[in-house]
Amino acid sequence: MDFNWSLMFASYATVFSPGVLFIICVGITAGIVIGSLPGLTATMGVALLVPLTFGRPPLESLAMLIGIYCGAMYGGSISAILIRTPGTPAAAATILEGYPMARRGEAGRALSMALFASFFGGVCGALIMTFASPIVSGFALEFGPVEYFALAIFGLSVIVSISGRSLVKGMMSAVFGLLISSIGFDPISGFPRFTFGMMEMMEGPPFIPTLIGLFAVSEVFNEVQKTGQLQQLKAKVDRFLPTWEDIKHCFKHLCRSSVIGTFIGSIPGAGGDIAAFVSYGQAKRTSKHPERFGHGQIEGLAASESANNACSGGAMIPLLSLGVPGDAVTAVLLGAFIIQGLQPGPMLYKENIDIVYQIFASMMLAQFAMLFIGMAGIRLFAKVILVDRAILTPTIFVLSMVGAFAMRSNIFDVYTTLAFGILGYVMMRYDYPLSPILLALILGPMAEANLRRAMVISSGDPSILVSRPIAVGLMVLAVVSLLMSIRGQKQVEARLAEMEQAFEKEITD
Amino acid sequence: MKVADIVGGIIGILIGLFALWEGAKMPADVVMKIGPSFFPNMLGALLILFSMVLIVNAVRGRSKGKVEPYRLSDKGVQRGLITLAAGSVFVLVVEPIGFIPTAIVFLTFMMRVMGKRSPLLLAVTPALITAAVWLVFEKVLVLSMPAGVLADYL
Repeated sequence: MDFNWSLMFASYATVFSPGVLFIICVGITAGIVIGSLPGLTATMGVALLVPLTFGRPPLESLAMLIGIYCGAMYGGSISAILIRTPGTPAAAATILEGYPMARRGEAGRALSMALFASFFGGVCGALIMTFASPIVSGFALEFGPVEYFALAIFGLSVIVSISGRSLVKGMMSAVFGLLISSIGFDPISGFPRFTFGMMEMMEGPPFIPTLIGLFAVSEVFNEVQKTGQLQQLKAKVDRFLPTWEDIKHCFKHLCRSSVIGTFIGSIPGAGGDIAAFVSYGQAKRTSKHPERFGHGQIEGLAASESANNACSGGAMIPLLSLGVPGDAVTAVLLGAFIIQGLQPGPMLYKENIDIVYQIFASMMLAQFAMLFIGMAGIRLFAKVILVDRAILTPTIFVLSMVGAFAMRSNIFDVYTTLAFGILGYVMMRYDYPLSPILLALILGPMAEANLRRAMVISSGDPSILVSRPIAVGLMVLAVVSLLMSIRGQKQVEARLAEMEQAFEKEITD
Repeated sequence: MKVADIVGGIIGILIGLFALWEGAKMPADVVMKIGPSFFPNMLGALLILFSMVLIVNAVRGRSKGKVEPYRLSDKGVQRGLITLAAGSVFVLVVEPIGFIPTAIVFLTFMMRVMGKRSPLLLAVTPALITAAVWLVFEKVLVLSMPAGVLADYL
């Protein structure tokens, strides 16, 4: 599919209107605040605020959610640097260099580099997304059920490979998520499955309430159990942008990490946390002084921050062009698209090409808005992390329930939210990852419906699954990714243990 | 984590068995060979398989990570259980009683549970938060909220 330059300029003009710019700025500000509050992730922020976009025009809604997404990715670094608590999982790698810098009295330098690196990564991610998505979608127009089935299987195989500490628990989460996704009418024959005779279950568990429960309510239960006040470092935030020397010093890392981040983001299932750790590891490996890492090396901070923001652009590529989310946040965004009556995927390019280009423009402008708002509010955001939890936590619960109810004015959705909140809390407590469930909810029906469609075409002959080269390629990739993840699990565990040790050492020092 | 993993594995097996049992009751598809039961059956079997691996690993002492034991004397655990109870009451009464009264009472109660003592704060903050949420959803976004007992006044 050719890139349409005139539409691109027209889209920038549309997005550059005061209304849309304002809504992007609101999204960015909300995102930075949410991201900087430990425990409130980008996924939770977008899930919690999706209900605010009901009834708004598609561009405004999506621009605001994109703003929240980008803002939260940067916001996570603020608490990582100042209170050694990552605001979002993607900022976990930022602690390793950011906090030692802040303790050395260089909080301003660290925060300004985090902002610049986030901006740089975000712009690279948005650029790559703008030019790569149309190519991928042109390719995807040729996709039939067999290819979509293979794509879903590939996405699922990646989820498993990123399940963190325990591969078995990651697998269990993914399979459990797939089982939940099979609740309701069967996609081909319409037979009701696992509905317990309830009308409300016929369409399966409602998506937005399910994810508000899993990602917001579970966190409320987690948060109320914690005691003690957060200790903020007495930080002097004395600058808004890094010095020219710092930028020059980190430029190589910024470029490399932005590309790594975008690439990892574009793999269905892999998110900002992985992008940040991989880029950080890469920066450490290629550094002339790897021994200084962990003691406040600014290039480590630049690498992890640019990667996690570049990841958001990367994660939008499969969402827009294939209809498959790149990470948990884009899985929530997929829900927001559907609420707006838009179905991401190659057909979006055929039917709503204007919206696609407006999203590209919003993503790019969101980065600039983030830079300016970040610069203007850096001192204020540094104080936001001390907001009173005794007021914030119950408010999140109320907002979650209201958000769940607002979509369909159905009390069943509120029950669903609480049930998934409890489930999410129990799973988190016992180390079962939650993201695989969310992605399985989207990839499960896609895998099943397309497999069965393929079977209808072939009259039940399974050899159709290996009859198309792209599908075979994707399935081979899925098998390779599975085998590598099983083989690499020991290394991942060792690396996680190493990171945890470094983190604990950092805390005890 | 060992006991927790064994319990988790058993729950996984039970869910898997339930999926298989339900799958057995679904009709077969003669045209496509795979009917509505194909996915649930496959997933049920996989869940049982992974649950068994988890149990075997736990029994062999290969469980990973640690989990803080639940003690009812622990203040955090008490707060968690109170939140669960208060949250359950919230979702049960929010429709009949209405959003505004339920949210004000819930927020006041939860702020008290989380250590807030100032009467002024407890009187003003929940009302302000509730009013703000109500105004945004009901008036700005025009999304209906449960009116409950205040239906005649809103």
